[in-house]
Amino acid sequence: MNNLCTDIGYTSVNKAGEQLCGDHVEVVNQEDGSVVLVLADGLGSGVKANILSTLTSKIISTMMANNLSIEDCVATIAATLPVCEVRGIAYSTFTILRIAGQREAEIIQYDNPHVILLREGKHIDYPETAMEIGGKTIYRSRVALQENDVFIAMSDGAIHAGVGSSLNFGWQREDIIDFMEMMYDNDYTAKTLSTLLVGECNRLYGGKPGDDTTACTVKIRQRRPVNLLIGPPSDPADVGKMMALFFGKEGKHIVCGGTTSTLAAQFLHEEVVPELDYVDPEIPPTAKIRGVDLVTEGVITINRVLTYAQSYLADNSEYSKWGYQRDGASRIARLLFEEATDINFYVGRAVNPAHQNPDLPINFSIKMRLVDQLSDCLRKMGKRIKVSYF
Amino acid sequence: MKISVCVGSSCHLKGSYKIIEKFKECIAANGLEDSVTLQAAFCLGKCTNGVSVKMDDEIVCGVSEENAEAVFNQYVLQKSGR
Repeated sequence: MNNLCTDIGYTSVNKAGEQLCGDHVEVVNQEDGSVVLVLADGLGSGVKANILSTLTSKIISTMMANNLSIEDCVATIAATLPVCEVRGIAYSTFTILRIAGQREAEIIQYDNPHVILLREGKHIDYPETAMEIGGKTIYRSRVALQENDVFIAMSDGAIHAGVGSSLNFGWQREDIIDFMEMMYDNDYTAKTLSTLLVGECNRLYGGKPGDDTTACTVKIRQRRPVNLLIGPPSDPADVGKMMALFFGKEGKHIVCGGTTSTLAAQFLHEEVVPELDYVDPEIPPTAKIRGVDLVTEGVITINRVLTYAQSYLADNSEYSKWGYQRDGASRIARLLFEEATDINFYVGRAVNPAHQNPDLPINFSIKMRLVDQLSDCLRKMGKRIKVSYF
Repeated sequence: MKISVCVGSSCHLKGSYKIIEKFKECIAANGLEDSVTLQAAFCLGKCTNGVSVKMDDEIVCGVSEENAEAVFNQYVLQKSGR
């Protein structure tokens, strides 16, 4: 087995004035580690398109995940989808990406703009085989995976962006390729790449998209563990055990909390060297301990990381802050959201008497809840999370 | 002389940032950049009575934006004989 994994991130903007999106992305993770992803674009917009695309993506992803043939999938959809009264047809275009065993990607495309493949940030073409199923022309491809391969699937709202407003003929797939090659950075996550593309489309549309626009990116990357320690153990006798387990783990190490970092420094026989820089006046400064990748304050910093995580899962609008700033919360966000695939939390349950002061908006239960909520968000980002309590 | 302002959670919420800014002003106003080192400290263990500031080896509690200048005058200026 290789050590590769998939990072999947997608985002949409709705056609101006619509509350529902007519595009739908469905991801099915299978037990053997393979992933089936379907991006469907329903005919029209609003409720009808939303139903068509949801049905299409759910049916295809479920059937493909159970190893049924693409012919069966298409036949099932044709027989199942409600027929549009206005147009007399049942219709939803789709793109299917199946990543098997982190070795091979199978791409099946029907009428959506074709998937863009970037290898090390440069566009490459892949062979396509056309086949007829039920009167529809469907393209099928197989690509052997390499680390840092990026697959970008999109709905046709992306290539129509700017029609009639900023660009006469919209921007073509070639223009999108140029744009993504220009924007590409190896550190960007799938979600960030999708956000960049949809953001640019929205800009070309002048903020009023003429069609639902969706981008879904799959990035093939190495698994990378990151470990985060927060809070001293409830039994002071467990400090040595907790630290030994934490520092024994492979990957980067983040220590959060004043008392916690003092204990970590003692364990390592090093000094805590605090920095004076208040990069962001709301986030306490970070510190340095030799042997630890990042040392921050605890609750306030993690609370901000949680805000960033919730934004990341929604429209990623806070990216301009956490993507670049040097404060503790932004640096944790980059490590957890971008760099890590597997995150181990080491949570100490000691109660800090000073935090039980009713004047302070922090207390023990808030700290526990923060860790719970943050790990939930990270799971939704597709990370493997392990939380150990001490 | 070394001044360490606590930037732990409790003290941060009680205004460490503002106090650091105040002390920076005081140091500049008195031209003490060479003799006084201002730095941050990670939790001085006096969380219930912040903001805590360590003046060399002495911990001063209850520093606020309002009394920061007085504290500076009392502990830094008097001790350095000004």
